[in-house]
Amino acid sequence: MEAAKETQIQDRLHRLNERIGLSYVPPRETWTPAEEALYKPVNLLRVPVEEARVMQLKAIKYTFTRHYTLNRFYRRYCDTKGVTPDDVKTYDDLEKIPLVPDLTFKWHPSGKDFAGWIADVYTGDLPPVTIESANPTFDDVLNAYNAAGLMVTHSTGTSGQPTVIPRDMKTARYLQYGMTKMLIDLCDPTSIDHALSLFPKPTRANLFVAKVQGPLDQFFEDHHYALDFDISAELAMRAAVDTNDAAEQLSAEEQLRKIFTIGATWLERYDKTTDTIWMLAPPALFSVFLDSLEAQGKRFEFGERGFLRTAGGWKTRDGKNIPHESFRKRVEEVLGIPETHCLDIYGMSEMNSIMITCPEGHYYHPPPWLRLFVLDASLTPVGYEKFGRFAFLDPLVYSYPGFVMTGDKVRLLEHCPVCDRPGPVIDQTISRLKSAEMRGCAVQLAKIFKRDVEEAK
Amino acid sequence: MTHVSEITEHGHPSQEAPKQSMLATGSTIVKTLANPGALRKMQTMDPDEERYVRPTREYELPEYREGMKHCISNEKYLRPTRWCNPREPLVIAMANELRAYELSDYEFAEAAYWFVKTKFTPEFLSLNSVSDSLKRGTGTCFHMNSVWVALCRAAGIKARYKSFTMVLPDEIMSVASSFGEAGEMTGDLFNRGFPEMEGEVCIDGTWTVGHVSMRPELLASNYLPITRFGEDAIGLTLLLAPGGTIKRFESVSLKFDILMKAIMWSAPAMMERANLMTTESRSMGRTIIEMAGGLEAYDRAARARASASL
Repeated sequence: MEAAKETQIQDRLHRLNERIGLSYVPPRETWTPAEEALYKPVNLLRVPVEEARVMQLKAIKYTFTRHYTLNRFYRRYCDTKGVTPDDVKTYDDLEKIPLVPDLTFKWHPSGKDFAGWIADVYTGDLPPVTIESANPTFDDVLNAYNAAGLMVTHSTGTSGQPTVIPRDMKTARYLQYGMTKMLIDLCDPTSIDHALSLFPKPTRANLFVAKVQGPLDQFFEDHHYALDFDISAELAMRAAVDTNDAAEQLSAEEQLRKIFTIGATWLERYDKTTDTIWMLAPPALFSVFLDSLEAQGKRFEFGERGFLRTAGGWKTRDGKNIPHESFRKRVEEVLGIPETHCLDIYGMSEMNSIMITCPEGHYYHPPPWLRLFVLDASLTPVGYEKFGRFAFLDPLVYSYPGFVMTGDKVRLLEHCPVCDRPGPVIDQTISRLKSAEMRGCAVQLAKIFKRDVEEAK
Repeated sequence: MTHVSEITEHGHPSQEAPKQSMLATGSTIVKTLANPGALRKMQTMDPDEERYVRPTREYELPEYREGMKHCISNEKYLRPTRWCNPREPLVIAMANELRAYELSDYEFAEAAYWFVKTKFTPEFLSLNSVSDSLKRGTGTCFHMNSVWVALCRAAGIKARYKSFTMVLPDEIMSVASSFGEAGEMTGDLFNRGFPEMEGEVCIDGTWTVGHVSMRPELLASNYLPITRFGEDAIGLTLLLAPGGTIKRFESVSLKFDILMKAIMWSAPAMMERANLMTTESRSMGRTIIEMAGGLEAYDRAARARASASL
């Protein structure tokens, strides 16, 4: 049984490598320790713990040395902390590697100063960039970097300022390949016939969630994007926050209606066939899509041939939590897709890897190269079972230090309580840590008061 | 004990909060008290929540010796006031430690300013004597300003308090539907009820302001410039609420202590969470300053950014 599964995964990996070509998988003899962590394991979710630890130490030390050597700002920071690559000798020493706050990638200046900022956070030499417009928009600037051979993405900027991440093509390919490879144990994208994405089309936006889908296009016969229109950074930011502008609200509602019509038509197209389908969507948007299907009395029975991959947080626009379990039950009710086929992806634009829930227990499993931490209020690792600030060391990032303290509150478990995949997992309860906004006593108390009232509901 | 409260600000519109807003504040307090879920949340820490641990005091307490020089004037702004007694032995000892009567008034006021600003950590507590604050090294903006004011008064420099209501961040203040009842309640309660505090010292006849209550790491956690002695936080790190109150006074009003005691009693868990948030921000801010290449490099970058955004 085990051997058969191993062969099946090997076949899937072979198909994956064939489909996406050599640009994603360099020759074996050239692999760095970080690349070995990505390319060598057949099944990323089944690497034994000890093997994964050895892999992490080698890969992370390799990438840490690279950033320490080639990134001036990070080296200066490491020097302040008194840490050099020579200090990292054992697995436990990985805790010494200085972590960069995620805010580093949010606090970018605009205009001409942006170039200075990106050069600061970038590891290595930036390609020459020409910006044509005298008065460039944020997208013009990002497009100029992307035309020069980078993949610079931004987040939606729900907190008011979008995160900007500069990836070189090597880093971008690691992300896209790693994401696809993570999925093949649980659902092989190379054997799916058609896909519907409720994320922006990769060519229509510089949003991280759009660009990360890149290679998936090559797998499906009919890969349809319900959001097939240009999404500028400004539009993405406006959409991320609520508006009181009636015209804007109307236009957003109209746009949603169009997206849902496209989605419903696509589902109807494959409802009566035997083709396999895959949907990729943010839970909040998909939840409203389900409402819309229900309101129209539409029901489907995709059964085992349907798959749903969600990503992008579990809060509605008005800040309410979407319970995972009831969401999956609704998917089953409306689309007939079993709960075990509804898997969620946890990732973020600063990270070059994804974590995916197992179908058995819906806990988030990381790839074997990723070192995860949970930090307490003094930013010290606290180990398993405790809630705290999520931090990670990602060796697959070449173009900026991917050693990041995030703003997410998570709990790390030593192993999955339900399935037998080895290694630590993240509990499903992921929330945002409230930023302190330390301006004065009143602001600080006000934030805590508001959170307590909200959480008490 | 003298209690003088005065409104001396010029160039600002009417100072008093509209009655309607005061009513809203009152009704919010009632609503909160009538919401058992919210009240429970504010009173009890969850079993898996991290607990607050008070940081260690970052300075030595100097020894008081008889005959240490200090001001004994009963003139307004020099005399002892509620929770601000410049004649407490520890206050006199600390003022002497900071070289009172050796430095010029300006130099001493600045030295005392940086002492409080860089060595004290915000912690929500009910009000107490300056000596108690010095022994602890933590406190609210009221405690910290009282330490600064008392040290300056002990050194014979006139000093007073300045309070104002500030604009809360958009995510709290917005009355958009997405922020719901919790957002509105917070806006109602905190936008009128809780002032921010600064201090002012009189040097050569001119009042000079200082915002001691936010240490550099805390400002850095939000990428704000580090306010210097003589710089007003209003307009640099904080915005005055429209129609907000700026008050200057010699002594802290009793009502603030009653308010703090009431909150400490009714919402101890909320206060503990706020203190924990300070610990977290401090750690994060320290990292950010280190990454920027030190305090000065950080402040330069933060000022450049602030001039564009505030």
